[in-house]
Formats: sequence, C-alpha cells, structure tokens
Amino acid sequence: MIKTLEEFSVLAQERGPKKLAVLAPEDEEFMRAVKSSWDLGYIEPVLVGDTRKMEEVAEKVAFNIDRFHKIPQTGQQAISNLGINMLFSGELPIASKGQIPTSYIYRSIIREEAKAGSGMTVSVISFWDIPGMDHLVAFTDTGVNIKPGVKAKAEVIKNAVFVYHLMGYPRPKIAVLSGQREVGGTLDSYKDYEILIRSAAAGDFGECEIVPATSFTDIFLGEKTCMDGGADIQGDEVPHILVVPCLDTGNILCKLDFFLDVTRSSLVATSRGPVCIPARSDFSGNIVQQLAMCVVLADEMEKREQ
Amino acid sequence: MVRSFKDTLDRAHLGETKRLVVPSPKEEDVLLLSEASTAGLIFPCFVGNGEAIKNMVDESPLAKKGYEIVKENDPHLALGRALDILHAHEGDILMQGGIPAQMVLHALHDKSRGMLPKGGIMSFVSVFPLLKGEKLILVTDTYINNHPTVAEKQLILTNALRLARTLGIKTPKVAVLAAIEQVNPSIPSTLTAAILSKMSERRQFGDAIVEGPLDIDCALSRTAAERKGVKSIVTGEADIYLVPEVDTGHLMAEALVFFGKMNMAGVVMGTSKPVILDLPFVSREGRLAQISMACLLDGGGDSNG
Repeated sequence: MIKTLEEFSVLAQERGPKKLAVLAPEDEEFMRAVKSSWDLGYIEPVLVGDTRKMEEVAEKVAFNIDRFHKIPQTGQQAISNLGINMLFSGELPIASKGQIPTSYIYRSIIREEAKAGSGMTVSVISFWDIPGMDHLVAFTDTGVNIKPGVKAKAEVIKNAVFVYHLMGYPRPKIAVLSGQREVGGTLDSYKDYEILIRSAAAGDFGECEIVPATSFTDIFLGEKTCMDGGADIQGDEVPHILVVPCLDTGNILCKLDFFLDVTRSSLVATSRGPVCIPARSDFSGNIVQQLAMCVVLADEMEKREQ
Repeated sequence: MVRSFKDTLDRAHLGETKRLVVPSPKEEDVLLLSEASTAGLIFPCFVGNGEAIKNMVDESPLAKKGYEIVKENDPHLALGRALDILHAHEGDILMQGGIPAQMVLHALHDKSRGMLPKGGIMSFVSVFPLLKGEKLILVTDTYINNHPTVAEKQLILTNALRLARTLGIKTPKVAVLAAIEQVNPSIPSTLTAAILSKMSERRQFGDAIVEGPLDIDCALSRTAAERKGVKSIVTGEADIYLVPEVDTGHLMAEALVFFGKMNMAGVVMGTSKPVILDLPFVSREGRLAQISMACLLDGGGDSNG
C-alpha cells in the first residue's frame, strides 16, 4: 500500500525508466523536471513538439537531449493528439503535458477513449500528502467535469477507486463532499451523495465504501457539535477519496496546498495509462513528483495486463 | 489595521459595552459570554425561561458581572421577542442562542420584524488570521447563499468590503475565485468574476482592487500567477477571497480549519444589526472574535451591509 508521495519516488527508481511522451516541453521549469526525472532513472523521454523550441529550452537548463527520440510537431492540438495517440496505441505507457493548456490534452484523451470504446470518463485525481496522515487523500474530479451530475460522479468515483486499487488499497473509503449545512435547503451535491451512497452499497463501484459524511465537519468532528476539545486529525478516519461537487470546488480545494502544509500531486487516469498534467504554476520538484507517481501507476497497470 | 483576533478584542474593548440579546440561551454559551462580559465587550440580555436561565447562569461569572432576563416561556416566541428588543433599540447584537440557524435566518428576512434592509442581502464572511499573524483574510460567502447571481455577488462583495474596512483595511484587495484564471464561457464563475473585476475598474466598489477570475494558486502566490502570465497586485496579497458558490465556500472554510489548523470567526453581514451565528467548527477563540467583530460593526454605522 502506497501511503506517501515519497514512496512513489522510491518505487519509481526501482521500476523505471519508463518511456514517457512529453508533449511540448517548451518551458524551463518543465524541461528541468524532465532532466531530473531522467537523472533519477524514472523516465526515458520521447520529446514531441517544436524541435527548435525544445532544444533552446533544454540548453537553458543544461540538458543534453541529443540522445532522446524527438518527434517534430507543431500546433498545440496536433502535439497533444500525437502524444496521447502514442499512449493509447501502446507505444509507451505514460504521457505528460508540457507547455500545452490542459484542455487540449483532455480533448485528445476523450477522443482516444471514444475510439477505444472503453467507456471511461476522463477525470483528474489530485492527491494530498498530509503530514501525520497514514494514507494519501485524493480530491476528484479536479480538472475536467465543470458541473458533473450523479452519472458523471459515478464514473469519477470508479476512476479513483481503480487508481487506489492500483496503489494497493483493497477497499478505499470515499466521501462525497457537499456544502450542505443547517441552512439553505438541500443542495444538488447532497442529493448526489444520497444516490451515490446507495450505489456504492449495492456494489456498483467495486470494492469501496462511501462513508456517511459530506463535509469536513462531519469527517473531523463526527457527532461532536463544537470544536471544544480540539479536532485532531485521526488519520484512519479521513476517507481516501474526496469527491468534489464541481470543478470550481475541486480546483480551489486541491490547490490549497499553496497555503497549507500539504504536498499535491495530480494525474489523469485513462484506460491505457496515466497522463501527467502538471499545472502551469507547478515547479519542477512538484512535476518530478507527479512523474514518479505516473511511472509507478503505469507499472502497476502493466502488471495487471500481464 | 486589525491583524489578529486579539486585535479585534483590543479594539472592541475601546468601544462601548454592547447589549447582546440571546434567545433561548444554551449552557455552552455561558462561559463564552462570561468571558466577553468580563472583557467589557457585552452585557447579555437573555430571552427565555427565566428560572432555567437563572439556574444556568448563577454559577458562572456572569452572576457577578450582571445580566438581564426577558421572560418568555414559549421557546417558539423567544426569537421574535429578541428581534423586538433590537428593533426597540434596547439591544445591539443578536446571538443565535438555542434557536436553529435556519429559523434565525428566516426571521431576519421577515419584512415586518426582520433585520434585512430593502435591496440588501445577507451574507456570511469567514475571517481567518494567517498563521504567521501578519493579517486577517476574509472568505465569503461561506454559509448563507447557495448559488448567488452576479447581482447577489455584487452585494456579497459590498458586504465583505464593509467588514474589511471596519477591520482597518483601507483599500481591500479582492480575489474573485474560479477554477481557472482565464475567462471561459463554459465556466460561469469565470464570467461573474470578470464582470466584478470590470465593475471595480469603474470604481463601483469604491476604494478596492477586485481581480478575477483568479484560480486559487494565482490568488495565493504571486510567483505562480506570474508563471501563468497573470500580473496583478492582488496575487499573493488578497484580503478577501470571493468564492463562486457555497459548496466551494463552506468546504474551503472547513478545509482551512481542519487541514490548515486555522482559527475561524464567522460574521453575518447585510443585517441592520450585527448577528452572530453558531457554526460547529468555530473554536472558543474564534467565537470570542465573533463577538468582538459584532461589537466593532455595531459601532460602525446602522447597517452591516
């Protein structure tokens, strides 16, 4: 069972290098991350994009990319389509976005999933490594579905459960989050929770459990009605997967790592392998971490297929 | 400028003692009210069953400091009596007491006995002192409005700006949050944020700088914002975070408390007299700060909005 992001880093060194399609690594921060990941033995990059731009930025970070396979391509959507197609055709087990807006990547993945007839909905899983917590906590969907209905949330849950199973959690616990409180009537997000908890109990999402909690107050205070006596984090009580009500909530909550003592790492789980989608504001250390996670999960997927 | 909950207490201490009206008081409120009374912030006026209240309070420091009881044995009528006291200018602040929050909000909306000025909106601001103590940040609306429209957000922001100015922030910097920092017609929160930002440019919020849409990384970190090509004085320095809707607002406030171990004080804005609600994830220190801020707001004009 993988309990921290650091464990991903250790395992990535053991299981790498994996071939990685890097889509438009035309930003110094991202190229620096590719260099570090190569040096650490996580990846062997296949560089897709404008060759001149990639060479310029590689030179700036003192990274000799002569030895790597480079595929010249221009146009953000074309680069994205090419790299994601390489993942889905089995040419390599991981893809990662460089300096391309994430929406292009999602579009390419949705197209390839449709072609493959996988039925898999695209969603983003953002992990938090929280000091003192005995497991990784994931927010989802933090990137794709703007206002998911209950059907989309069911698919989002399936994707996250799939990833947690890969990470060695046999029966992950899930909270379907909502802003439901004492006032304001019943929110749609709470109605979704009521439906999804029944679906999970019926086994619709495989081995997992939706807990009867929709807020952090429910999770941390339980039956207590006030903060008196404190609210220390009890690691095993915090669900593994936190399903957010909508994209605004997901993106805002998961990126509170800029404010809190937590480390974030995100990926897109596709039917053919993980796609690394670092935010354009992420720094190279954080991107390396995300690549390590993708390497390990890709390895787990390969093992399952075998 | 007020930078901490202690500052709010110190500043409220300089003002007049306020009459705080509590319908159907709860036993767990007594200690807090004793502390606020001892600090010279409030004089409590309890509305409810006289004998039960006396039994509850007589063992507390309030017995010496003094309090008033307005007898109302029917618990269903206690809130109405409390509002009457405020309307008669015999009380300054309303505290939730043992009345369910939904019932309090409903009563505040009542046209004849309520406390919501025409054309206004009630909203809730969560106030957090940053852990290094450099300043307070405000997040709104975290409790009252589910899915506010642009017009409602304009009022919610106006409410928050008034609180910020009461706390001594002369030119509040506002981050209007959304999932992304670009204006995207498919994501309604980005459109609303852009409109509010433009309104601010035209001085419709007075002395304030409103920037949006901003995703949370741009709002919290200037470096992150610059990497995304966003250049604004608000990035990394926001005083007010305006959230898209209540799912985000309520969960964000809770996340800062539980994961960030930050203290929160909640302030109801928009009412003609300050109102204190009782949220379960507010610490004792936060609850005392709520009383301090209500005292400061009562001294700052005849409407909280």
